[in-house]
Amino acid sequence: MLRFLILFVGILLGLFSVEMLNPVQDAVIQPFTGLLASISTALIMPFDDSVIAQGRILRDAASGFAVSIESGCNGVEAAIVLVAGVAAFPATLRQKCTAILAGFFFVQALNIVRIISLFYLGQWNYSVFEWFHLYLWPVLIMLDVLVVFAIYLQWLGKSAPPVEAS
Amino acid sequence: MLMRRQIVLTLALMPITFGLWYAAGSLFAAPAVWLCDVLLSYLYPSLIDTAGLQGADMQLVTQFGESGGQLLTAKEAGNQIALEINTLLVSYSIAFYGALLMAANVQNSLYKFSLGLFWLWLIMAAGLASIAGKELLLLIGGPFLNTSLVPPADVIALTYQFNVLLMPTLAPIFLWCWQLRGSPLWEQIAADINRASSRA
Repeated sequence: MLRFLILFVGILLGLFSVEMLNPVQDAVIQPFTGLLASISTALIMPFDDSVIAQGRILRDAASGFAVSIESGCNGVEAAIVLVAGVAAFPATLRQKCTAILAGFFFVQALNIVRIISLFYLGQWNYSVFEWFHLYLWPVLIMLDVLVVFAIYLQWLGKSAPPVEAS
Repeated sequence: MLMRRQIVLTLALMPITFGLWYAAGSLFAAPAVWLCDVLLSYLYPSLIDTAGLQGADMQLVTQFGESGGQLLTAKEAGNQIALEINTLLVSYSIAFYGALLMAANVQNSLYKFSLGLFWLWLIMAAGLASIAGKELLLLIGGPFLNTSLVPPADVIALTYQFNVLLMPTLAPIFLWCWQLRGSPLWEQIAADINRASSRA
C-alpha cells in the first residue's frame, strides 16, 4: 500500500508538471480542449442549431452566452489521477494500457456531459451554473475516476488465474 | 455489490451534505482560514498583514497599497490592498467527504469524521494559501516573487493546480479509503487488490 501511495503521488506530480509545460500545453492540451468543444457542439447541433464552437469556446448564437473550457475543466486532471492510479498499481503493461484508454474514454465522456450541462445551466441560472461548475461536477468527475479504478481492480482480480488448492 | 452500494449512497447523500455545508457557510472554513493566517503572516510578514473570514470569503489584507494607479507599500500609499478569496472553492471537500463516509457506514463514524475533518482543514489551509499565492502573483508580480521564501512562479502554478483543482476531490477519497479499513467494503477491495497483485 505504501509503495502504491509513493508511486501514485510521484507519478501524479510528474504528470502535472509535464502537463503545465508550455510546449505540452501548445501541442496537446489546447488542441485537445478545442476538440472537446467541437465534440460538444457536434453532440448538441442535432437538437440545437444555434450553438457554435470557436476554439475552446462554446457559444449560443441566439443569446450570446458562451462558456470557455479552461484548465481544470477539460478532464485532463482527472485523467492524470486515473493514469497515476493505474500506473502505480502492479499489473501487466497491456492491462495498464487497456485501463488507461478505457478510463480516459469514460472520464472524457462524463466530462462532455459536464460541458454540455454547464452550457445550458449557465443560460438558465448563473447561480446554479456556479454551483455545478465549482462544487458538484468536480466531485462527480472524481467519483467517476473512483468507479473506473474500482472496476479495473475487479477486472484484474477476475483475470488472475485461479489459485490451486494444495 | 458493496462498491455499487457505496457509490449510489454517496450520490444520494450528496444533496444533504452539500446542503448542510452550504447552510453552515463560513463555519467549516474557519479553522482553515485561521491556519492560513498563522502560516502566511509567519512566513511572509512583509507581504501579508492578516487573513480573516468575511462571510464565506477569506479577506487577505496585504502590506501593499495603491495610490494614483501605482502599487506601493501600504505605508507609502496610506492604504492596504485586500484580496477576497472564496473559501467554498476548497471547503466543499468536507461535504464530499461527509457523503463518502456516511455511505460507507463504518464504525465510530463520528470519531473518524472528526479525524478526517482535521486533515481536511490542513489541506484546505494549503489550498487557500495556494489561491493567495496565485492572486498575489497576478496582482503584485515582481516584488512578490522577489520576496524571500516565495517560490518561483511555476511552483506557485503547480501548487495551485494540485491544492485547489485536485486535492478538494482527491483528499476525501484518500481519507475515506484509509478509514474504510475493517469494514466489509474494505475486505472486498483488499481481496480484489490481493488477487490483482498475485497476478502481477
